[in-house]
Amino acid sequence: MRRLLLMGITVIGMVTVVFFLLRAIPGDPATYMLGDYATEEAVAALKADLGLDRPVHEQYLTFVGRALTGDMGNSVVTGQPAFQEVLSSLPWSAALATSGIVIAVLVGVPLGVLSAVRQGTFADLFVMLGALVGISFPVFWVGLVCILLFAHEIRLFPALGASSSEDLLTQLHHLALPALVLGFSVAAYIARLTRSAMLEVLGQDFVRVARAMGISETRIVYWLALRNALIPVLAVIGVTFAWSLGSAILVEAVFSRPGLGSMILKAVFARDYQLVQAGVFVLAFAVVLVNTTLDIVYGLVDPRVSVT
Amino acid sequence: MKTAPVPGAARSRPRPPRPWLRYLRHPGFTTGLVVLVVLAFVAVAAPVLAPYGPTEGDLMRTLAQPSATHLLGTDQYGRDVLSRLIWGTRISMQVALAVVVLSLSFGSILGAVAGYAGGWTERLLMMGNDILLAFPGFLLALALVAARGSSLENVILAVSIAYTPRVAAVMRSVVITIRPRPFIEASHAIGMTSFRVLWRHVLPNSLPPVIVVTTVSAATAILAEAGLSFLGLGVQPPTATWGNVISDGQGYITTNPGISLSAGLCISATVIALNLLGDGLRDTLDPQMRRYTSRML
Amino acid sequence: MSAPDRPSPQKASGNPPVLELRGLHTVFSSDQGPISVVDHVSLEVSTGETLAVVGESGSGKTMTFLSVLGLLPPGGRVAGGEVRFQGYDLTTLPPAKLRALRGAEVSMVFQDPLTALNPVFTVGDQLVDVIRAHTGDSRRAAKDRAVALLERVHIPHPQRRVNAYPHQLSGGMRQRVLIAMAIALHPKLLIADEPTTALDVTVQAQILELLDELRAELGMGMVLITHDLGLVGTHADRVAVMYAGRVVETAPVASGFARSRHPYTRSLYRSIPRLDTPPEAQLAAIEGLPPDLARLPAGCAFEPRCYLGRGREDCRRQRPPLVLAGDDEHRSACLHWQRMSPEGSQA
Repeated sequence: MRRLLLMGITVIGMVTVVFFLLRAIPGDPATYMLGDYATEEAVAALKADLGLDRPVHEQYLTFVGRALTGDMGNSVVTGQPAFQEVLSSLPWSAALATSGIVIAVLVGVPLGVLSAVRQGTFADLFVMLGALVGISFPVFWVGLVCILLFAHEIRLFPALGASSSEDLLTQLHHLALPALVLGFSVAAYIARLTRSAMLEVLGQDFVRVARAMGISETRIVYWLALRNALIPVLAVIGVTFAWSLGSAILVEAVFSRPGLGSMILKAVFARDYQLVQAGVFVLAFAVVLVNTTLDIVYGLVDPRVSVT
Repeated sequence: MKTAPVPGAARSRPRPPRPWLRYLRHPGFTTGLVVLVVLAFVAVAAPVLAPYGPTEGDLMRTLAQPSATHLLGTDQYGRDVLSRLIWGTRISMQVALAVVVLSLSFGSILGAVAGYAGGWTERLLMMGNDILLAFPGFLLALALVAARGSSLENVILAVSIAYTPRVAAVMRSVVITIRPRPFIEASHAIGMTSFRVLWRHVLPNSLPPVIVVTTVSAATAILAEAGLSFLGLGVQPPTATWGNVISDGQGYITTNPGISLSAGLCISATVIALNLLGDGLRDTLDPQMRRYTSRML
Repeated sequence: MSAPDRPSPQKASGNPPVLELRGLHTVFSSDQGPISVVDHVSLEVSTGETLAVVGESGSGKTMTFLSVLGLLPPGGRVAGGEVRFQGYDLTTLPPAKLRALRGAEVSMVFQDPLTALNPVFTVGDQLVDVIRAHTGDSRRAAKDRAVALLERVHIPHPQRRVNAYPHQLSGGMRQRVLIAMAIALHPKLLIADEPTTALDVTVQAQILELLDELRAELGMGMVLITHDLGLVGTHADRVAVMYAGRVVETAPVASGFARSRHPYTRSLYRSIPRLDTPPEAQLAAIEGLPPDLARLPAGCAFEPRCYLGRGREDCRRQRPPLVLAGDDEHRSACLHWQRMSPEGSQA
C-alpha cells in the first residue's frame, strides 16, 4: 500500500516536472510551434486552444487533472488524442526494450559470474574488456556498424528494424538486430555489476563457513552466493530499464524502427508540443511502473526487506 | 579477495608516499589518463593540428576516399573528415567539462545538504531527486533540448540537468555514512558550525567516490552529446562534432564507411578512457566506497 | 623452534590424539617474498580435550587451523609439515576428500555470527544444506534433523525458528545456529575461532558452556582459539601460546598456567585485569608492537619486547627451541625460562 502511494506521488511529481520543463522555459511555445512567420491571430488562437492564456497555476491544475485521466491533449499535427498516438507506438518500443533487457540478463549475468569465479584469468579479462567496450561504444554507432556488417556485408538480418508484415517470424527477424544491439550495451553493464556483486559475496564470511562445512564449491557459487549477488543486480534492472528506453530512441532512429522514440523524435521536429509531452510522460510512467514492480519482487527475494 | 588478509603482513607493505602513486600503478588508470591528456592536447591545439578548417569544404572533392591529402577522406560536402574530428574533440571536451562542473557542483551540494540535514529536508529533496531519476536521462536531455532549441549551451544545460540527480544520489549516500562518524560529532562538540563541518570534513571525505562519479558522468555526457548530435538535436551542423560526423556519414555507410566509423571510434576511445580512469579509481578506493559508485549508470 | 622431524609433544592425557600437527609451515606470498604466518607449529589435541590456542591478532593462531582445514585465503599455502587426522595427512589429501571430512569429521565455528550465516536463506535451509552435503538424507529427514539440532543447542521453539531468517535472530542465537551446524554430523574435532568475541559478555558465558557441554556429550576434541586469557582457566585443559607464527609455550591448565615459563605469556597474563589485582597496581601493557612477520629477527621473535631478554646477545642470535621446562607436560621456547621466578604472575 505504501509503495502504491509512493508511486502515486512519484507520478504526480513527474507530471509536474514535465509541465514545468516544457513551460517554465523562456520563449513562447505557441510561437515556437507555429514558426517565426505565424500571424498573431494564429498564435493567439493556438494559445487559447492550449490554454496558455490562462494563469500558470490554473494551467498546472488542469494539466495534472487531465494527465491523470489519460488526457494529454491532441496532437497538433494529426489532431488525434496525443495519448492514443503514444499508446499505439508503445508496443514497438516495449518489444524492443523488453527483448533487449532479456538478452542482457541472459548474457550479462552468466558472463559476470564466470568473470568473478575465474577472477584474474584470461576469461575474466576477455569478458571485462568486452563489457568495457559495451558500456563505452555509443549504441547508435554500434547499430550502424551492425547494419554495415550483418545487413550489408553478410545479409544475415534486414537493415530495417521493423516490417509491416503481419508474420511474427518476419517481425522477430527484423527485431533481432536492434534488440541485440540494445541488449549488448545493457548486458555489458549487467556483467560488470554481477561480477562486482559476486566478488563481494564470495569474500563474505558465510561463504567461508559453507566451505568449512564441506559444501561443494559448485553449490556455494551457483546457489548460495549467486542468490545473494542477484539482489543488487535485480535492484539495478530498474535503472537499466530507464536507460535502455533512452537508448531505444537512438536504436529506433538507426534502424528506422517505429516506436515511442521515433514518435517523440518526429514530434520534436514537427514541434508537436503535446505529443512530446505525452510521450515523455508515458515513458517515465513505464519506468516508475517497472521500478515499483521490481521493488516488490526485491522484497520477495531479499528476506531482509519486508513487503508492505 | 585480491589481496589476501595476511595478518601481520599488512604492516610490512611500505605505504606509498602519495595516494596518487597508488593510482598510477593501476594499468587501466594510467592508460585512461594518457588517452585523456592526449585528447585534451588535441582539443587545445586543434587549430594547429587540423590540416583544414572544420567547415572548410571543397565541393570538387566530395566523398573522397582516404588519401595523402585527406587522411580519412572527405564527406559529402568535401570537408576533410580528420579535421572535423580534430575540431570535434573540442566540442566533446567542452561538453564533458561543462557538464561535469555543473552537475558535480549542483549535485554534490544538493546531495550533501540532504544527507547532512536529514529529516524533512532530506526527504523532500530526495523525493524530488527520485522523481527526476525516474526519467530516462537521455530522454530528459532530449526533451529539454527539444523545448529550448539546439545550441551548445542548451545541450550542456540539458545534459547537466538530466544527470545532476545521479550525482546527488551518490553524494547523499556517502554523506549519510560519514554523518555518524565520531570525528563529525567531535567537531560539533567543539563548536564548529554546520557549514564548517560540511566544508572541512564531509566534503573532503566524500571526494573519492565523487571523483569516480565524475568520470562516469563525463563519459555519459560525451555519449549523450553524441547521441543528440546524431539525432540532429545537438549542436547544429555545420559545426564539427563527433555525433554530427557520424550522422553525416550515416547515409554513406556502405560507400564511405570510414566517415562514421572513425568518428565512432573517437567517441568510444574517449569514453573507454574515462571508464578506465573511473574503474582504476574505484579499484583503489576502499570497498565500502565502491558500493555507492558501482551502480551508477 | 620445532623442526619438522622433532618428536611430537608429550600427550596431555591418556586419550589418543585426534589431531596432530607436526612442523606445520604455512606461507603467504607477498611483495617481499613468502612470509611465514605459521612457522613449524607442532600441536596435538586429544579426544574429549579442549586445547586453548592463545595469542595476539596476527600471531598465526587462526591461520594454523585454516591450514588444517585447507581453507587458507588466496595467496596462502602449506609449505611443509604434516596434519595427522583420522589416519590421514590433511596437507596431502585430495581436495574432494578433504571437503568430505570438513563439516562431517572436523568442523569450525567462526568469530562473527552476524556475518557467518547466509542472509537470504532460512537457518533451516542452511542446516539442511550441511546435512545433505554429507548424508543421503531426504530434504524432509534433514529438516527433522535440523529441528533436533536446534533443540540440542537450546534454541527455544525450534519448530518455529527453523524457518527464521538470520536477521530475525539475536547474535547469541545465531552463534547457536552455527554451532548446531558445526556439530550436525557429530565431528571428532571442533575448532572454535574466537566464538564469543563478537557477543555480549552474558551471552559469551552461555555459548562457552554450550560448547563444553557438547564436547563432553559427543566426546569431541576441541580447539578454542582466543586472545582472551581469562577464558583459558575455566574452559580449557591445555593451552598453547603463539607468537609471530610460532608456538612459544604449551602447558596443561591444571598444572598452573599461571606459573608460566615464557616471558611473553607472563606479560600477556599481567595485562589482564583480575579481581585480586590491587587497585593501585598498574596493568602492564606489553611494550612495543607485535613483530613484522616479513622482517623477523634471526633470534627470538619476542626479544625486542622482552623484559627478560631484551638486548641479550644469545636471544638475538639463537632461535629458542620449544623444550621441556620443568614438568613433564610444560614446554617453553625461551632460552632463559630457568631464570624466571617460579611464582609467576605476581613477579
